Amino acid sequence: MVPESATGVVLNTIEVRFTGGMLALNRLLMTLQNKKMPVAGFTLGNDGDGMRVTILLDCPSEPALRYTALISALEDVTEAGPAETIEVALIETQGDWRELAIRSGVAAHEDGGTVVASGEPEKVEAFIAALGEGVEDVVRVGPVARPEAGGGA
Amino acid sequence: MENTAFNIEYKPRTGSEAMCEALLDEGVEYLFGYPGGAIMPFYDALPDYPLRHVLTRHEQAAAHAADGYARATGRVGVCVATSGPGATNLVTGLATAQMDSVPLVAITGQVGRPALGKDSFQETNVTGMTLPFTKHSFLVEDPDDLYPTMRRAFEIARSGRPGPVLVDVPKDVQFAPTADKGYRRLREAPPPVESPGLERAAMLLRNAKRPLILAGHGVTLGGAEMELRLLAERTGIPVVTTLLGISAFPDDHPLYLGWPGMHGQASVNRAIDRSDLLFAVGMRFDDRITGAAHKFAPGAKIIHVDIDPSELGKVIKPTVGIAADAKAAMRSILGHLDNAPEGEGCERWREELAKSQEPERRRKESARDEYGPIQVMEAIKAAAGPDLRLVSDVGQHQMWAAQFFEFTKTNSHITSGGLGTMGFALPAAMGVAFAYPEDPVWVIAGDGGIQMNIQELATIRDFGLNIKVAVLNNGYLGMVRQWQQFFHNRRYSETPITGPDYEQLAASYGQTGRTVSEGDDVEAAVRWAQEQEGCTILDFHIDPEANVYPMIPSGMSVNEMIEEDGA
Repeated sequence: MVPESATGVVLNTIEVRFTGGMLALNRLLMTLQNKKMPVAGFTLGNDGDGMRVTILLDCPSEPALRYTALISALEDVTEAGPAETIEVALIETQGDWRELAIRSGVAAHEDGGTVVASGEPEKVEAFIAALGEGVEDVVRVGPVARPEAGGGA
Repeated sequence: MENTAFNIEYKPRTGSEAMCEALLDEGVEYLFGYPGGAIMPFYDALPDYPLRHVLTRHEQAAAHAADGYARATGRVGVCVATSGPGATNLVTGLATAQMDSVPLVAITGQVGRPALGKDSFQETNVTGMTLPFTKHSFLVEDPDDLYPTMRRAFEIARSGRPGPVLVDVPKDVQFAPTADKGYRRLREAPPPVESPGLERAAMLLRNAKRPLILAGHGVTLGGAEMELRLLAERTGIPVVTTLLGISAFPDDHPLYLGWPGMHGQASVNRAIDRSDLLFAVGMRFDDRITGAAHKFAPGAKIIHVDIDPSELGKVIKPTVGIAADAKAAMRSILGHLDNAPEGEGCERWREELAKSQEPERRRKESARDEYGPIQVMEAIKAAAGPDLRLVSDVGQHQMWAAQFFEFTKTNSHITSGGLGTMGFALPAAMGVAFAYPEDPVWVIAGDGGIQMNIQELATIRDFGLNIKVAVLNNGYLGMVRQWQQFFHNRRYSETPITGPDYEQLAASYGQTGRTVSEGDDVEAAVRWAQEQEGCTILDFHIDPEANVYPMIPSGMSVNEMIEEDGA
């Protein structure tokens, strides 16, 4: 399941892993801007292997593949490919969230008093809506690529 | 460190020495550059190595000279500059190389590591500044990384789709002792060739009734001229080229039609418009070729072969897209054609095309008697002979050169296509002349562009380069004036331009020059120039309002083409 953009086109998600620090990140950003890629979302993370970016492109899959090829050709990029998107939300709630999470079809667990919910963007939104007034605060950190999808080659 | 056994002091190599060794190990012969504070350690090491440095008079010229050398030889060109303004002056040259996929390595000095990020004297973020138009860039902060980084820069510059790579080296890193980390050359994998696409391409080529081959710069960059010729001759399909594809296929070959686009031949534009199959190889459907992309080759299936997969579908959606090197792809297609039954051929199509070119041929024939660009081009071709290497600048003269010269020697036409860099030709010709000192090298330039890097006459004199320069002098920035004429009601805003007396200018640089005007013997003047030792400038005073025809206005299609008679 992938989110739909404001233009009505299904967003295409690509995950990019790269090394090279700030200069490499700068080069990636410059490439996105320089080639006028229709970026609808950009989430940056860092793990042991370098940086990881989830990019949501507001365009059909064919140009998204072309953009992926272009990004893959950057020297710092170790991996780039299509990925599944998940939304991650950090929710502060006093309500009974466990039952609602199962019914909404999202994965959720509690970490230091904060509920961490993840899943398809629509389902996460449905879960937050179902919590209703029980939600004291919510922070959406996604979209990010689903870890087990791992990005394509 | 001391070798106690022999009591000989071991001196580790410095960063600068590692840089020079990397250049030598890459087989570099020529560097084009300009020294300055932050690159001084490198220049200090340079005389100890068998590397020939060419001191240009401006860093932009150094980049263009390295570019010309790379285009002419297919090898990686090298340019060097200091930090700050030295580095910023390289920018136009790097962008020119990037747009035309030319392999370059640019070495820049940088302020010392402790001074980085502190707005130090002559500090600029050159890696950041050049991100959009370099294939890759490095800021080398660890001296031990210098040698492998330099080697890697060359590998990146020449592999896949070639391009410029910048290596920025802080001054203290150049001074510092380096440990030998060694370098393991990455094995360059053979370019992937998608076989189903190739088979389908072969099938389409066999069955087309009105096919054309459209060859671009990728054919030259990939050394695929022979495969192009074999494919054309095997299938009998006529060949057209992009501006940068000119001289990838001999102009005098019966299957060569010419080049299309904004100022390409009308008959070639119409041929594309009528074609039912376009085999586009090593080209990227630049807007100067397609005009209105949605109206381009409306009835044609498109086979697009390019080494860069991101080019496939960027402008024109291909029927068959093949991400492969031009040489490998055409070889493979030829293999598929070998096993196939002969197609019906396209004789009628060739006859039709030959007929469509008749009016242009007649027009060119009659223009031979008039003083103007055609006469100049033909005189140069006659005087220089078949080994001529022509470097054109950017503007009207560039189009006339492409239209009226007959290029029979492979890779003999060099020009700035994608970026359209005025001032490119004179320094680029220096690179060509260093690469092929025995071949006649001519520069064709306008009176605007030639003044942008005119200072390089000093470099040309210093090295005794045998470069001939033809300035087509119309007293205007001619192409801009032409657009003003067509699209801005003849308001010639800031396009009239003056210049020096080129005869005197040449003399001041210890060279020769002549002014040629209507009524003078063009052939005699060109012959005289060709016979002179060293550099000669011919200043051709031509009709100030001469136009380049045909012209497809920007963003329009072949149906909106402006031709000479209807102008």
